[in-house]
Amino acid sequence: MLEDISCLLSRRGHKVLAFILFSGLFLSFSGISVYAQEAVDSTSTVSAAAPDDGLSIDPDIIGAGETLFNNYCKVCHAVDKQVIGPALAGVYERLDLPWLITFIQNSQKVIESGDAYAVQLYEQYNKTQMPSHDLSDDEVLAILSYVKDQTLNPPATAMDMAGAAGEAGAAPSGLSISSGFLIAAMVGLIIVLVLILIVLVMLVQTLTRFMKQKKGLDESELEVIEQRFNLAKLVRSPAFVGFVSFIFVAIMMKSVIDGLYSVGIQQDYSPTQPIAYSHKVHAGDYQIECEYCHTGVATSRQANIPSASVCMNCHSAIVKVTGADEPSEEIQKIYDAIENNRPIEWIRVHNLPDLAYFNHAQHYKVGNIECQDCHGPIETMEVVRQHSTLTMGWCIDCHRETIIQADNGYYDQLVELHKTVSKEDMVVADIGGLECSKCHY
Amino acid sequence: MIVMNKILSYIGLIVIGGLIISCSAKDDYQGLEYAPNMYHSVPYEPMTQITDKDAGNWVNSDSDIYGEYFNSNPNNPHMMNLRVPPANVVARTKNGYLPYRVPKDSIEYAGKYVKNPLDSTAEVLAQGKALFEIFCISCHGATGQGDGLVGQVMLGVPAYNVGRVKDLPEGWIFHTITWGRGRMYPLGPQIPIEKRWKIVRYVQTLQNQPN
Repeated sequence: MLEDISCLLSRRGHKVLAFILFSGLFLSFSGISVYAQEAVDSTSTVSAAAPDDGLSIDPDIIGAGETLFNNYCKVCHAVDKQVIGPALAGVYERLDLPWLITFIQNSQKVIESGDAYAVQLYEQYNKTQMPSHDLSDDEVLAILSYVKDQTLNPPATAMDMAGAAGEAGAAPSGLSISSGFLIAAMVGLIIVLVLILIVLVMLVQTLTRFMKQKKGLDESELEVIEQRFNLAKLVRSPAFVGFVSFIFVAIMMKSVIDGLYSVGIQQDYSPTQPIAYSHKVHAGDYQIECEYCHTGVATSRQANIPSASVCMNCHSAIVKVTGADEPSEEIQKIYDAIENNRPIEWIRVHNLPDLAYFNHAQHYKVGNIECQDCHGPIETMEVVRQHSTLTMGWCIDCHRETIIQADNGYYDQLVELHKTVSKEDMVVADIGGLECSKCHY
Repeated sequence: MIVMNKILSYIGLIVIGGLIISCSAKDDYQGLEYAPNMYHSVPYEPMTQITDKDAGNWVNSDSDIYGEYFNSNPNNPHMMNLRVPPANVVARTKNGYLPYRVPKDSIEYAGKYVKNPLDSTAEVLAQGKALFEIFCISCHGATGQGDGLVGQVMLGVPAYNVGRVKDLPEGWIFHTITWGRGRMYPLGPQIPIEKRWKIVRYVQTLQNQPN
């Protein structure tokens, strides 16, 4: 009989085990394939043989033209976009070469000669004079060859490259991949556990059926076999009721205590701002320094909220969100603010109570504390959120642990003195960082 | 009956618990304030503006007609606490710098006659570099090649060490930072005069780097 059972078990067991293993493997592989990123290979189009228009397709001349373009033209011109002067794509088709050469060498002369096209250009671009350039005819032709090459084979735009670089940079750090993989693994594990449960139930049923067919069992054995799982009885049992009540009361107590502690703490406050400004784009993707906009952080108690004129430093030229075709509505709000001379009413996120004094310059300039130490990973936030609790306990903890950065000479003697009485490093608490009146007055 | 009472008491507990949990801040909700009279400043404060005249009426402790939290100036444009200084006011600076008065269109004059008051010492260069990396690097790039992440999108950013730009004098550079030029907008309001001159010293080292 025993052999029978074990045989049955092993046969069924093998199948089941194999099934479990397969499903587990399948899950993990599918998880990997979902998160694996395929490299995008960029194929550059090869230009067809150009008709003879006096411009070279020799790579050396194009290379020389690129250098000249960068040195002389790039300040005001781009091939595919209007910058200060017009976009140059196809300029060699719009105008004939001798005209172009004269204009590039001395545009003022051409305009003064009354050339209709030149005068129209001059008027169209707000009477901006293109400076005359001391370039030989061959050099101008080299530049135009480069322009033609760029027209026919447009390079990947800067943002594409930045995006690609961003993706490439993100892959090794692998934060999203690993967390995604973790979830996939967890789901796989849960499915495997459920499968094991089903298998066990099936085993029990098979064994019960097998035992029932058997004759000559005594009372106690029969009782075990006939045993039914009684849910109602279990729910009513004092042990179960006591256990559930305990869990319930414990969770309630925890919630109430947590709730009471959250009174007066504005952690996670993330108000909707009048303009959907993203720190992720500006401080993260474009790596603009915090101090570029928050100019007061090193000199003042307040870090400062930038005025709309600071936005205009870039948004005078940048009117679209990356990848969009239409000008952005959010950026339009800056222009409206400037036009109507009406300040943008940003909503303050970090509201320290008036009873506490805090000075940004002290901490940022003297204390050498990074913005992110208190404000969290601001360069990843689409909407700014209060990251820290900003409670007194939180301040005090940092003052107890932070060692004085004595690189400005001011604390040198004090550090020496401190060494004579203590083996520990001198922390902020040692120079009065715990005094009430430092922050409350 | 007893069961009913028990259930009711449980529901009551849940409601109270829920109320207390909802005190914590989230999204647009700022959270419940403890002792709000001590949280809100009585004098005008920079960087904070509550324009609702009835805000905090329920905890009023003073005799004015406004709510306790109202901290805007009703007499100023847009009820702001700050005003634009009157014309021709000169800010006092630590080292006695006077405002830069050369008008925007006189860049040729600035290039010829405006001179840097700071010497090119190691300290000035180090500070200039630090400032450059805050205010200029986004467009002009770490070595002034015009290849900063923003510059690649803005376009029209010249390299410092080639062509005409290589030979531009210090006054010209200072004037450009102050008033902007081409696509570059004025950074004068963002950077005080002394810091601008430090940046000029550092930019000159980038002009002189080999191609």
